[in-house]
Parts: sequence; C-alpha cells; structure tokens
Amino acid sequence: MKSHERAYTQRDGFSIDYGREAEEEIVRLQEEITRQTNIESQFPSRWLAIKLLEGDHDIQTSLKELKGGSELLAAVEKSIAHLEKIYGDDVDVIIADHRYGWINGLVREAVKHNSPDRLTKSDKVDRIVTHRLLGIPIFLIAMWVVFKMTTDISAPYLDWVDGVISGPITNWIVSILGVLGLDGSWVESLFVDGIIAGVGGVLVFVPVMMFLYLALAILEDSGYMARAAFVMDRLMHMLGLHGKSFLPMLIGFGCTVPALYATRTLENEKDRILTGLLVPFMSCGARLPVYILFGTIFFPENASGVVFGLYLLGIITAIILGIVLNKTLFKNKEQSTFVMELPPYRLPTLRGIWFHMWERTSSFVRKAWTIIMATSIVLWILMALPVNGNGSFADTDVRNSAFATANEAIAPVLAPLGFDSWEASSALVTGFVAKEVVVSTMAQVYTVEEVEEEAEATTFFEDVGEIITSFIGATGDTIKSLPLIFGVNLFEEGEEDELTDLMLAVRSGFEESSGGHGALASMAFMVFVLIYTPCMVAIAAEKQELGAKWMWFSIIGQLALAWLMAFVVFQGGILLGLG
Amino acid sequence: MSVPLSDLKVGETGVIAKMNFKGAARQRLLAMGLVKGETILVKRVAPLGDPIDFVIKGYHLSLRKTEASEILVEPQG
Repeated sequence: MKSHERAYTQRDGFSIDYGREAEEEIVRLQEEITRQTNIESQFPSRWLAIKLLEGDHDIQTSLKELKGGSELLAAVEKSIAHLEKIYGDDVDVIIADHRYGWINGLVREAVKHNSPDRLTKSDKVDRIVTHRLLGIPIFLIAMWVVFKMTTDISAPYLDWVDGVISGPITNWIVSILGVLGLDGSWVESLFVDGIIAGVGGVLVFVPVMMFLYLALAILEDSGYMARAAFVMDRLMHMLGLHGKSFLPMLIGFGCTVPALYATRTLENEKDRILTGLLVPFMSCGARLPVYILFGTIFFPENASGVVFGLYLLGIITAIILGIVLNKTLFKNKEQSTFVMELPPYRLPTLRGIWFHMWERTSSFVRKAWTIIMATSIVLWILMALPVNGNGSFADTDVRNSAFATANEAIAPVLAPLGFDSWEASSALVTGFVAKEVVVSTMAQVYTVEEVEEEAEATTFFEDVGEIITSFIGATGDTIKSLPLIFGVNLFEEGEEDELTDLMLAVRSGFEESSGGHGALASMAFMVFVLIYTPCMVAIAAEKQELGAKWMWFSIIGQLALAWLMAFVVFQGGILLGLG
Repeated sequence: MSVPLSDLKVGETGVIAKMNFKGAARQRLLAMGLVKGETILVKRVAPLGDPIDFVIKGYHLSLRKTEASEILVEPQG
C-alpha cells in the first residue's frame, strides 16, 4: 500500500480527523511506534503520534530515555518537516485548528443559547473590581479580610482547642495514668510534656487552617482570586513572582504555616517554590511577643519603632532575596507565564467550600503530626535527662538537664552576635519548635522559680460540659471580633508587671554576654528571630508543599542568613559606635 | 498587515494570524483556542498597566504584554 492510501487505516472508535496529509503521517508514526515494542506497551500509539507531532516537551524527554526513542524522534522530525512544507504553518497549530474545527461544528449542531449570557453580569462586576482606580483598594480590602480571618477571627477557637487539650484532656490522661499507678513517673511526664504538647502543637493550628481554607475557597470558587492576580501581577512580577503570590505573603504576617499552604493557589512550580521560600520572612504573629519583650527592655522610648523596623526589614529581605534568587538559582527554570482565564463569577456552594476546608485541613494534620511529635519528644528527652546536680530522669531542674548542656555547646557559635549564653541559645532552640515559646523559655531559664498550676478536681461530665460551653463562648468571641476586621490593636499586652523580673534578668544577661553592648545584642537577637526558621510546623508545611530538598534549603539558608544579618547588626553597630 | 496583539487598544479586535509563542504555554494557548482565524477583543487593562484581559471564543483570557506581543493579529476596523 502506498503511504497516502494508509491514512485513516489505524483508527478505531471515535477520533478527530486531522486532515489527509496529517493522518498519513500519524499512521506512518504509528507503524514506527509499533516496531518499538517497549514504547508501544507504554503509550497508545495514535495518541503518542499526535503528541509527538505537536512537539510535546514532556513526551519528548521521556522518549529520549527509552530504547529506540531517538530513532522514533528522528522519524517525527521528518514528518514535521514534511507537513510544514505542505501546510506552510506549524504542525501544532494545524492540529489545534482541526480540533477546534470539529468542536465548532459540534457546538453549532448541539448548543442553543436562549438565556442572557452570564458573561454580561460578570462583566458589570469586573468593571468595578478591576477598575483603574478602585481595583487596588478593593483588592487590599479583600486581602485584609482574609488576613483577619486567619488571625483575630480564628483566635478564640485556637484558645479553645488549647484550653481543651491542656485542661480536660491532660487531666483525663493523668487520671488514667494514676489508675495504672504511673502518677508522678516519667511516663506521666512523657505523656504530658512530650506527647500531648506535640499533638496540641498540631491541633491548635486546625482552627487557623479551617479559616484560611474557608477564605481561600470563597476567593477561588467565586472567581475573585483570578481578578486579584490580574490586579496585582504587575507589581509582583517585578519581584519575579506572580500576581497570586501576594496572598500567601500577606497571610504570612499572621502565621507562616497557612501562608505556605496558600502557595498552593499558584500553578507554576517556580512561582510556588519562590513564594514559599520568601513567605517565612513576613514576620508572623508569634514573633511579635519577642520583639515587644526586647523592645520594652532595651528601647523603652521607641519600642514600637523597633517593632515596625523589624517588620520592614523582613519585607526588604524578601524583596532582595526574591530578585537575587530569580537571577541565580531560578535563572534556568522555565519562566512563568501569566496565561489565566478570568472565569465568570459564581456563588460558591456550601458543599464545595466544606469539601475544600475538610480535605485540606485533614491533609495538614496527617502530614504535620509526625515531624512535630518527633521534635517535641526529642526536646522532652533532652529536658528530662539530668547531667548535673542530683535530679533524676524526668525530675530535674532545666539548668541541670542535657538541654542546658547542649545549648551551652551551641552558645560559642553565637558569641560574635553578642549573645553567647546558654539561656539565649535555649530560647532560640525552643524557638525553632515554635516562636510562641521563646518568651516562656526565657522565663523558665532566666528565673528559677516555676509556676505550678494546680488544677481543681473536676468530674468527667463537668469537663465535657465545660468543653461545650467554652466552644459556644469561643463562637461568641469570634462573632464579637468580627468588627475587628477593620481595626488593629497590636499592643494590648497587659502583662508587663509579671515580666519585670524576667526583663531585669534578660537585660543583665545580654549586657554581660555582649560586653556592655546589650542594646545592640538585643537588636541582633531580634533580627536572628526574624530571619531563622519560623517553627517546626512551618518546616512540616515546607516539606509537604515544596518538597524535602527545598525544605532543607530553607532551613539551612535561613539559619545562615540569620547568623550573618545578626553579625552585621552587632559588629557593625560596635564599629559605628552605636549602643 | 499583522501587528503584535499587545499593540491593539482597549475595545479593538483582531484576527489571529500567527502564533510566535514558544515554550510550554504554547500548547496551552493552542488548546485554549488561540488558533489562526480566531477573533480576539481587547477588553481591559489591569490597573497597573499589565496584564491585559482579552475576550476570545466568548471567555475572558488575560495575558502579560510580553506574552501578547508573541501573537500576531490582523487588526479589524
């Protein structure tokens, strides 16, 4: 049979007619494919032939690794050259043309338009939402609402989860262990200070994640997310990012963990990874108490200026790093394209929103708990192991524990930064697990007395009642905090009186370790806290969203950068004669 | 005379003449119906001047200016 007679001979079932000339080449390639049995067994031959004629990059790469792949690719090149000579156009365009020809015919036969187009309604909304002057203010308001939802609005539920875990659940487990005769033993300590602390560390994030995913689902399902990207793309593109990168960055000021998960809305891998790497530099809410503590101790006149400066430093670091990474590590990555459909607006369905919230939140819990449980148990063991003094396992002062000894070993590394005490390095090590505990660790290591909370005895049913009423209370608090969406109050910490002892201890500790440059050392410490890994949960999120390689890149890179920047602040400050 | 799609002003339409677009997004654009002979309308420009929102085949598609400049069109009255 001559080649032009073979066209259409290998089709079975439904297929689109790509025109006689193209069909001839498709059959020719199919025959070529059939000859290479190892290739034929992996791909449907007609599909593969079409993909190759279209010049599909992924298919080409995977073929190159197969036996007989390069022969096949050579045959493809011949076919493409032949077809381009006949049609005078690119083969992929010809194939797309025929597909659309078929689709247009089908639409003409089968589709009847008799309702007013939804596009016109959408268009009216877009006229306002993407308006030249109104577009950006509307975008900023929408982002502010999302930010507030993941912070203030979710806070009462976060407190509720925290209360339930550290209250009733801890009590129940202690009672059960008591029945088994294990009260006061190391097993009890392992459960309470290790396991429950770890589980709690994951579960307190659940309300935050639920609210984040609620906000994301509404933004995505309604169609606004595409408009937000459209409005912001110019600005973000200058930093080598995508319009959609703005949202994760903003959420990062509340909490890095949901911010990392919000990078999922970015389709391009390069955009997603770069955004994920920069998100931790947006100073999260948990770092604020550290700034406030040190700001109040060393810069009482200008504490809020210091806090603001740190937030700004984080943003500037992210901008510079974004530009540098784009020009170096990401230079050869495929440039991202914007190409995005602006879908018609639609009302999100409750079912769809609930599905998104549940699917994504439960995946977070499943993935995050292992890494966090492991760290909190390791930390517990270090704190429970006595190396000095006469304490026994799980009953020793933290100063005499392996934890203190280990941190004493780390301290010299921090000497050039002005804070080479085991107290300071302890705070940074626990800060690696969660920034929330930096201040409480300092309270623990700088002052000797421990505050033992004596829980009053309650029955099981009282506990359950309390859980339910406190949940209702949290819902009430959330509703009450809804107006907070349009207000900020960062400085409502009213616990300064309690901290005075701690403040004095921290001040003398930092003055001593820095040789009298306490203010500079504290500044270096705050910069270190701003730049290094936000927390263990963020690491788990990085692993899930960016992969293990980028997780390590982020951990090591941030530690190195934190050290370097703190070094510049402390040593540079001394050189310039500041403080 | 074909001109780059990015040269059209808001409200103008053109008929696609040639796709110079390279890279992975080329396949995607072809699959989204940016084929020869298709009419494309410049709907609006983003507040900061880029990207641009087009209407093609009855749906909205936005492209950055640099991307739109890779598509040649015949301007229509």
